[in-house]
Amino acid sequence: MKREVQAMLLVLLGSAALRISLFSDTYLRYVRRALGPYLVAAGVVLVALGAVSAVAALRGSRDEDAEGTEDAGGDEEQHEGHGHGPGEGHGHGEGDGHGHGPRIAWLLVLPVATIFLVSPPALGSYTAQRAASAVTKPATAAAGFPALPAGDPLVLPLAEFDVRALWDTSRPLAGRRVRLLGFATPKSGGGWYVTRLVISCCAADALAYKAEIRGAAAPPPGSWVEVTGVWQPDGQPARPDAVPALTAAQVVPVPQPRDPYE
Amino acid sequence: MTDQSTIAPDRPSGAETPGRRTGARRPPGSLELLVAGMAVLLAGQYWAGDWLDTPGVEAWATVFVAICVQALPFLVLGTLLSAVITALVPASFLERALPKRPALAVPVAGLAGAVLPGCECASVPVADGLIARGVAPAAALAFLLSAPAINPVVLTATAVAFPGRPEMVLARFAASLATAVVVGWLWARFGRPEWLRPSVRRTQPAGAGRWTAFRAAFAHEFLHAGGFLVVGGITAATLNVVVPRQLLGGLAHLPGLSVLVPALLAVVLAVCSEADAFVAASLSAFPLAARLAFMVVGPMVDVKLVAMQAGTFGWSFAWRFSSTTFTVAVAASALAGWWLL
Repeated sequence: MKREVQAMLLVLLGSAALRISLFSDTYLRYVRRALGPYLVAAGVVLVALGAVSAVAALRGSRDEDAEGTEDAGGDEEQHEGHGHGPGEGHGHGEGDGHGHGPRIAWLLVLPVATIFLVSPPALGSYTAQRAASAVTKPATAAAGFPALPAGDPLVLPLAEFDVRALWDTSRPLAGRRVRLLGFATPKSGGGWYVTRLVISCCAADALAYKAEIRGAAAPPPGSWVEVTGVWQPDGQPARPDAVPALTAAQVVPVPQPRDPYE
Repeated sequence: MTDQSTIAPDRPSGAETPGRRTGARRPPGSLELLVAGMAVLLAGQYWAGDWLDTPGVEAWATVFVAICVQALPFLVLGTLLSAVITALVPASFLERALPKRPALAVPVAGLAGAVLPGCECASVPVADGLIARGVAPAAALAFLLSAPAINPVVLTATAVAFPGRPEMVLARFAASLATAVVVGWLWARFGRPEWLRPSVRRTQPAGAGRWTAFRAAFAHEFLHAGGFLVVGGITAATLNVVVPRQLLGGLAHLPGLSVLVPALLAVVLAVCSEADAFVAASLSAFPLAARLAFMVVGPMVDVKLVAMQAGTFGWSFAWRFSSTTFTVAVAASALAGWWLL
């Protein structure tokens, strides 16, 4: 891999990072919001270093054409990589010196191409269907939860709804009209869930929160809906893998939110 | 991992008679290949559209991109730090900062890991830079293991994920540091220098300015580590999509396996060390010691890391180092779990 290509790969990677962070919100499909500024910074560093390297490489090859080995920086590096002078003996089967980047770096084209050409969507019902539900009991549960805010209907994050329904023994949800936002996931054996994925770092660590929706026909899997209804306690013992149910009065299709994860 | 085939066409003109290399005589090189490849991919987008819509493939692509995007800032940070260490920090400074005897340098370097706020992707290039600067490999490896596991960001995340259980944070810190130090000592005692492939980057071009050296070191190391990150990302995304997590819950109650299963899961899932506490908290079917094992093993051994270590230090190093670390980490978690939890 020549220095020109190394430089171009750096620029490409940097622009891919900038494309999903600076020029759009696409990065929210893949990582948590807090990573945004760091992505922009990494993109700027890569584009800048790549551009400088490209200029140096171009100038180097022009000098090389004109005067042979005049350019001290780039060209001597290249010669060392070929096993001349003090660099000899350091190559150890690797074979790539400074002028020639590692061949493995070609793989970096894959994420760049995936970002620019495919732009994969946020994780959705396919992942939610396969993820086990795990609503862990918060440690604060023993001391009692704070009171739920006022409002009718009460707009709740799905994770909060699940935790309150399963672990809040004061049962503040009983009889309250709540509104949940999520996407539809089919339930095996009929019925459906409204679902939200929660990520803590990137999409690889997504956890699913679900609420079973009763009394409304299932929307197409993966479509985003706003469900208004009342919690339906089943009287089952609270377990982390239980899924609370909601009797829906209204299911409204909505567009996917800017940040698809909760 | 030889690069001979790409070098070969250039060798006669580039090495022996550089002045004669002119644009007209050059065979199509990697730059032309890159441009052609991008064009093919662009055209391929149209016919590839159909199978890319399959939910499984889509989820795979999302997780793959997510792992790469997530690691990118940390990789840039780690490589910049490594390039700074190589090009700007004088070797004498590091010699004075660390004790002479490896037996002492290992725990000091292990503790020093607490100051690098990042995840595991940043620590591989930094450790490489340290070795390049003459730090004893055993100490640099202890740093490599402890940095992603015991820094304040990770410990805070652990405290948030396990609210009301400060002993979990303590257990994680103790087990991770113990693993890093023990593996460092094992390397100092049994490690052989020939397992550790020296990085090519260490040859500083004579006469080149510091800035040029810095830039060359950065580009080379970043592209190298990045390539292996992609290998790791492909593996992790595949396992992430293919391995059903529900199946693992069933293994939680088998005696003897309860610590081993989350530890293996950590290797397979390759979750970033800043987030693994939340995943560990969700493995509620497993006892606390087993979830501790998930958090101790994860930042030190996972498919993404093994790929990156193999790229930086060579395969013969990576498999020995990772299997040793895995064993020590599981033992340390079991001990810490029995003692502290």
